[in-house]
Amino acid sequence: MKLTRRTLLAAASAASLLALPLVAEAQNLPRNMRMVIGSKSTGGDTYQNSAIVADALSEKLGINIKVDAVGATEAFKALARDSRGTTIMIFHDQSYLANLYGVTGYDDPFENYTVGPTVAINPGNAYLVPADSPYQSMEDILAAAEAGTRVRVAIQPGGVSEIGFSALKNAAKLRAPGSEENIVPVNTGSQSDKNQAMWDDLADVINGSIQANEQFTQLPADDAKAMRFVWITARPETLEQAPEAGMGGTSRADMLAHASPQTSVTLDGEKDFTFDKEFFLLFNKEMDPEIAAAIDTALGEIFAEGQIQERQKAAFFIPNYLSAEEARAHLQEKRDAYEKVISEISGGS
Amino acid sequence: MFEFITPLFLSLILGGTMVGIIFGAIPGMTATMAVAVSLPLTYSLGLENGLALLLGLYVGGISGGLVPAVLLGIPGTPSSITTTFDGYPMAQRGEGETALRIGIIASFAGGIISLVVLWLFAPTLADFAIKFSYVEKFLIILFALTVMAALSKDMLMGIFSGVLGIFISLIGTYDVSSGGNGELRLVPPGTEYWLESGFSLLPVLIGLFGLAAILEQAELGVPKGHSAKDIKVGAHASFSFSVFRGQVVNLLRSGGIGTFVGILPGVGGSAASIIAYTNAKTFSRRPERFGKGEPAGIIASEAGNNGLTGGALVPLLSLGIPGDSTTALLIGAFTLQGVQVGPLFIGNNPDTWNAMIIAMLVANVAMLVMMYVAIRWFALVVTIPKHILFPVILMMCVIGAYTINYGIMFDVWTLAIFGIFGWLAGKLRLEIAPFIIGFILGPSAEIYFVKSLESFGDLTIFFTKSWIAMLLWVLIIGSVVVSVLLARKARRDGQGGEEA
Repeated sequence: MKLTRRTLLAAASAASLLALPLVAEAQNLPRNMRMVIGSKSTGGDTYQNSAIVADALSEKLGINIKVDAVGATEAFKALARDSRGTTIMIFHDQSYLANLYGVTGYDDPFENYTVGPTVAINPGNAYLVPADSPYQSMEDILAAAEAGTRVRVAIQPGGVSEIGFSALKNAAKLRAPGSEENIVPVNTGSQSDKNQAMWDDLADVINGSIQANEQFTQLPADDAKAMRFVWITARPETLEQAPEAGMGGTSRADMLAHASPQTSVTLDGEKDFTFDKEFFLLFNKEMDPEIAAAIDTALGEIFAEGQIQERQKAAFFIPNYLSAEEARAHLQEKRDAYEKVISEISGGS
Repeated sequence: MFEFITPLFLSLILGGTMVGIIFGAIPGMTATMAVAVSLPLTYSLGLENGLALLLGLYVGGISGGLVPAVLLGIPGTPSSITTTFDGYPMAQRGEGETALRIGIIASFAGGIISLVVLWLFAPTLADFAIKFSYVEKFLIILFALTVMAALSKDMLMGIFSGVLGIFISLIGTYDVSSGGNGELRLVPPGTEYWLESGFSLLPVLIGLFGLAAILEQAELGVPKGHSAKDIKVGAHASFSFSVFRGQVVNLLRSGGIGTFVGILPGVGGSAASIIAYTNAKTFSRRPERFGKGEPAGIIASEAGNNGLTGGALVPLLSLGIPGDSTTALLIGAFTLQGVQVGPLFIGNNPDTWNAMIIAMLVANVAMLVMMYVAIRWFALVVTIPKHILFPVILMMCVIGAYTINYGIMFDVWTLAIFGIFGWLAGKLRLEIAPFIIGFILGPSAEIYFVKSLESFGDLTIFFTKSWIAMLLWVLIIGSVVVSVLLARKARRDGQGGEEA
C-alpha cells in the first residue's frame, strides 16, 4: 500500500514535470478560441479549410476552437474588437483584393491586422464557356475581342472572382490596345447566379471553380447545362501537387492543359498571369505576439507531422504552410502584383 | 443496396428530428441553426450517417416552428409566419390543440408530397428550374408580395406597411455577394458601423411577434393563465379528421407550391408558405375567414413550408445549388467528406441518394409521431402563468437574437427596436403581417428587379420574357383582383352590420 502511494506520487511528479512546458505554453493561450471566417457559407471552401485547420490546432494546443461563418464584414469587426486572442480569423486573397477594388467594409489587412501563416491553396479558380461556345480557348476569346466582338464575362465583382477578369482585360490591352473595351463584366452574385447567367445566354464566359463546375463539364454536349473549362488560373506548380486523378472526370493533366503555360493569359507580355487562392490567418494587431507565435509554431509542427496534408488533399486543397513572416512577405508581394494589374485596367478604362 | 440502414442511422434520424423540433419550437432558434451547430459532428459520423442527422434536424426544425406560432403567436421560424395568422386566433379561442393537430398533419403531408417529387422527378425538375431567370424569379416574389393586400385589415394601410417593410429591409450594403455594388444606402450618418449589414431577419421577426406581444400584454396588465379545461387539452380536445374534408386540393396545392418554391434557388423558404397561404385564400369559398382562425390557412402554411424540404434538395442534388439557407449548410456535409455535388451526383452516388430519401421519409414519420404524441404537453404551455412564461420567452428571444449570427450584440438591439416598433405599430394602425412580409421579400425583389433590368434592358421584358412570366402575371392579377373584391365585400358587410 505504501509502495503504491509512493509510486503514484512519483508518477504524478514526473508527469507534472514533463507537462510543464506544455502547461506554460498553454497558459498564454485562451482556453476557448473563436475562429471567424470571411464567408457566411458552411458549404464553401473557406469553412471546409478552416474546419480542418481548427481541428488540428485544437488537438495540438489542447484548447477549444470553434469556427464561426460570420462573413467578411462581421469577421473583421469581431477581430478588431478582440485583442485578447480569443478571436482569430481565416480568410483568403479576397481580404486584400476587395480592398484594392474599393469594396465597402474591407480595410487594408496588412495595415489594420497582423497577417499570420498561410495554410492551404484552393487551386480551383476557373473560367468556363457553354459546351457549344465558339470559343475553344482563351486565345479565341482574346482574338474575338481584338476583332471587335463583345465578350461578356459573369463575375462577382470586387475580389477573387474579378481578378481573373481584370487580368483578361489587361491581356487584351497588351495584345491590342482598345480591345479590352470589348471584354465586359456581367456582375452577378453566387455561383448559382453565374451559372444561370450562362444558361440565360447573358454571359459568354463565367467565373467558376473546378469543385463547383466540374460535373457540368462531364454532361453530354447537347445538355443545356453543359460547360467547358477554358482557363484555370492556378500556377502550374500548384496544380502539379493535386492528386493525379484530379477531380471527378477531370484529371490533373486535363487541368494543366487549361492553366499556364499551356493556356496563356499574359501579365506583362512576358510572364503569364496566375492566381492561387491562398488561405491564411489574420490576428488582431494588438494581440499578444506570444499567442500568434504559439499558433504559428503549432501549425509548423502540425504540417511537419504530415497528417493534415492528407485531409487537405482529400478535400482538393493544396497544403501550403508558410510561417507568419514568410507569409507576410509573400502575400504582400502578391498583392503588389495584382494592384498593378488593377491599376493598369482602371487607368486604361 | 440498403446496408446504410443501421441502428445508428435510424437513431440519428430520430435524435435529429427531436432536437430539430425543439430548435424550431424555441422562438429565435431555427432549423438552419440546428444544422449549423451539428455540422462539424458529421465529419466523424461519415456521409450517410451525417446526412441522417442533418436531415432529421432539417425536417424537425421546419416542423417545430408551428408550435410557438400557434400557441404564442410567435413564429418559431420565418417560414411559420403565415401559421400565426390562423393558428394563434384558434389558440385564443381555446382550440390550440386542434390547431396543432391540423398543423402537424399538414406538415407531414407537405413533407411527403415533396419527398415523392424529389424521389421521382429531381433531375427533370432541375432542368425546368433553370428556365427561371431573374425575371421569373422577380415575378414569383411579386406574386408572394400580393399577399400583403390579402392580409390587410385596411388595404391602404396594409400596403403602406408592406412598402415600409421593403424600405427597411433595404437598409445597409447593396451586397456584392448578391450581385450588388457594395455601396451603403439608406443608412443614417453615424450608424454605418451597426447598419452595414442592415437589420437581421430573425431579430426583427421575434421582436415584432414576440417582444411586441409581451409589451402589449404588459400594457393590458398580466392576465390569468388559461386552465387545461379552457384550452381543451387532452380529454377536452375535440379534434376530428373531418376538418380536412374539402381540404385535399388545398393540401396538395400547398405541398406542391412549397416543393416548387424550394426547387427555385434564391426565392427563399419563407416565400413558400406565403404563396401557399395566398393561393388558399384566393381559391377558398370562405376567404373572409382567413386570418381569424381558419383551419385551411394553417393547412396551407404548414403544407407549404414542409413541402419546401424535399423541393430545396432538388437543385442541391441535381445542380449542386442549394434551394434554401438550410440546404446551403447541407453542402457542408458533402464538402467535409470530399463528395462533389452536381448534375452527376445522383448517378454517381446511388447509396447516398437512397440514404437521403430514406432519411427524409423516416424523419417525416418520426416528426408526425413525436409531435402528435407531445401535443398535449406542448398545448399546456398556454396554461403557464404569464408572469413566468413571458420572462422565459423574453430570455429565449434575446438568446436567439444574439446567437443567430454567432454573437452580434446589435442583433439584440434590433430585437428591442422592432419590439417597441411592433408595440407602437398597433397604436399607429400600421399592420405587422404585411410589414414583415415586405421585410422578408424586399431584398430578393430588389436584386431580381435590378438584375432583370441590367440583363435585359427595359421593363417590357417582365411581360415578354416567357410563357412562365405570362402565367405569373395572370396569378398576380388574379390575386390582386380577389383581394380588392374581398376588401369591398368586407366593407359592404361592415356597413350593413352598422346600419342594422
